[in-house]
Amino acid sequence: MIAVFRHALVRSIGQILGWGIALALLGVYGMLLYDTLVEPQAQQQFEQLISSYPPELMTFFGDMTQMFTPGGYLDTLFFSYIPIIIGIFVIVSCASLLAGDEEKGLLDLVLAHPVSRVKLFFGRLGAFTISVILILFITWIGFALPLPKTSMQVSVWELFLPFLSLFALLMFFGSLSLLLSMLLPSRQWAVMTSGLILVTSYFLTSLARLSEKLRPIERYFPMHYYQGGKALTKMDWGWFGLLLGCSILFTLLALWLFERRDIRVSGEAGWHITGFGSHRTVQLNTDE
Amino acid sequence: MEQTPAIQTQDLVKSYGRFEALHGVSLEVCPGEIFGFLGPNGAGKTTTIRCMLDLIRPNSGSIRILGLDPQKDSVEVRRRTGYLPGELHIEDNATVESSLRYLNSLRGNKADWGYIQQLAARINLDLKTRVKNLSKGNKQKVGVIQALMHHPELLLLDEPTFGLDPLVQHEVLQLVAQARTAGATVFFSSHILSEVQEIADRVGIIRKGKVVEVAQTESLINRALRRAHVRFKQPVEPQVLANVPGISILSQADNLNVTLQVEGEMDGLIKALANFPVLDFETEHPSLEEIFLAYYKEDGQPQ
Repeated sequence: MIAVFRHALVRSIGQILGWGIALALLGVYGMLLYDTLVEPQAQQQFEQLISSYPPELMTFFGDMTQMFTPGGYLDTLFFSYIPIIIGIFVIVSCASLLAGDEEKGLLDLVLAHPVSRVKLFFGRLGAFTISVILILFITWIGFALPLPKTSMQVSVWELFLPFLSLFALLMFFGSLSLLLSMLLPSRQWAVMTSGLILVTSYFLTSLARLSEKLRPIERYFPMHYYQGGKALTKMDWGWFGLLLGCSILFTLLALWLFERRDIRVSGEAGWHITGFGSHRTVQLNTDE
Repeated sequence: MEQTPAIQTQDLVKSYGRFEALHGVSLEVCPGEIFGFLGPNGAGKTTTIRCMLDLIRPNSGSIRILGLDPQKDSVEVRRRTGYLPGELHIEDNATVESSLRYLNSLRGNKADWGYIQQLAARINLDLKTRVKNLSKGNKQKVGVIQALMHHPELLLLDEPTFGLDPLVQHEVLQLVAQARTAGATVFFSSHILSEVQEIADRVGIIRKGKVVEVAQTESLINRALRRAHVRFKQPVEPQVLANVPGISILSQADNLNVTLQVEGEMDGLIKALANFPVLDFETEHPSLEEIFLAYYKEDGQPQ
């Protein structure tokens, strides 16, 4: 499993550094701007500016009434929309984790080597999880380094909490995408379906701030349980656990399907339900 | 004590939706032999090999590889097996060396790097080249090396010489023969019948997902078909010969020279010829290719 893990992680180094450094720079830049924004005069001007925008637009940047608190600011700066951006990366990566290599024909050769499917699965998923953790960690450093230079009354640990909430949400969508890549005929379908759920969830949760009617529906979507900047002051560990719990469930289901899957030589499958093949019905009777 | 077969499949059935790719494949390959698996595209050769490695699971039937169940002991089976897929795909951005090092790491770095370099030198492959810059034939060479590099007990080769030039084809067949000399069992599918004829001890012919013939390569060539050239002293009406069961006329230059195809024993032909003044009589064995094609005649029924 170590060989699979190391190989998969090495393949992700470019993405880890690319995403991590870019988001960290965004963090440095945004954190250094905080003090200029919360000055009373600037705050007043900014409130006027915000009020000139339609609320239907501003709702996608978090709770704007909290804009001048550290949590609200971090939400608007980063945590309100970043799940969509990194979410797409996570969805594409997880759909490709096994199904992508299968479509390229790479899995056929790898699985002809003495690697069990379980080890291959966890080796790759482990490398992906570490990649996400490293991206978030580098980004967190970008936010944490300028923290002492700002007037934010937030500890480094407190700043870590929204990243934990983001991690749980990303793992939710990653594992969902992985599961769908085992269920649907192709990686593309898994990406499309997971992406649709992500975007729908984002829109519903954002618009539910404006419309009470959407709230009963919105709570069935994962973004409802993502806390973003709010985690800074009040982390809901139940919601965090719920997202991670779902991720574990999706992962186990994906593993179950992968273990029973007929590995294709290459290319995409048809619209029959993959994973529910005939496999384990083999009569093993030659010892008799 | 009876030796455990290197490969044993029994009534293997594999369906893809409504299409039944394998329709009760039963095979037995002895340890240390080279077994050629013949069949046209879509006959079920690759499906059979992939079932042996647990890449796909049969609907019913049983498989034993080196005495092990490939589903329960898949890792052990693959540890002791070298596999060359029919369609080889390797990561494009990697070099040949890094690809082989990765595949070797999946085997716990059991292969000796010096041996890998020797193999590469023999089939003229530059290890520093990026995979994406390799031709089809050179990619195939990577496949050959990764299959052989750990001295496997069993080699499962799906069209091993596909895309290789004749010189490298010969070298690869030499490597396969040497692997057998070192004690390995070789199971390989091929379209190139001359190479099967050259190195296989036994041959299995698969047709529409069913094994229709398994025999010693030599005996298959010897027994099935013969071609007879007859030169008569006086003109004769050869149609009389065509009426003999198992004999058909292949060509007839004139009433003195006739080429016949004889299926089965020669007895009927010799008795029929006794009635004619024969000047010369010559027989020859057909190639494995002709025998193979005989299994795929228009009506699709094996002869």
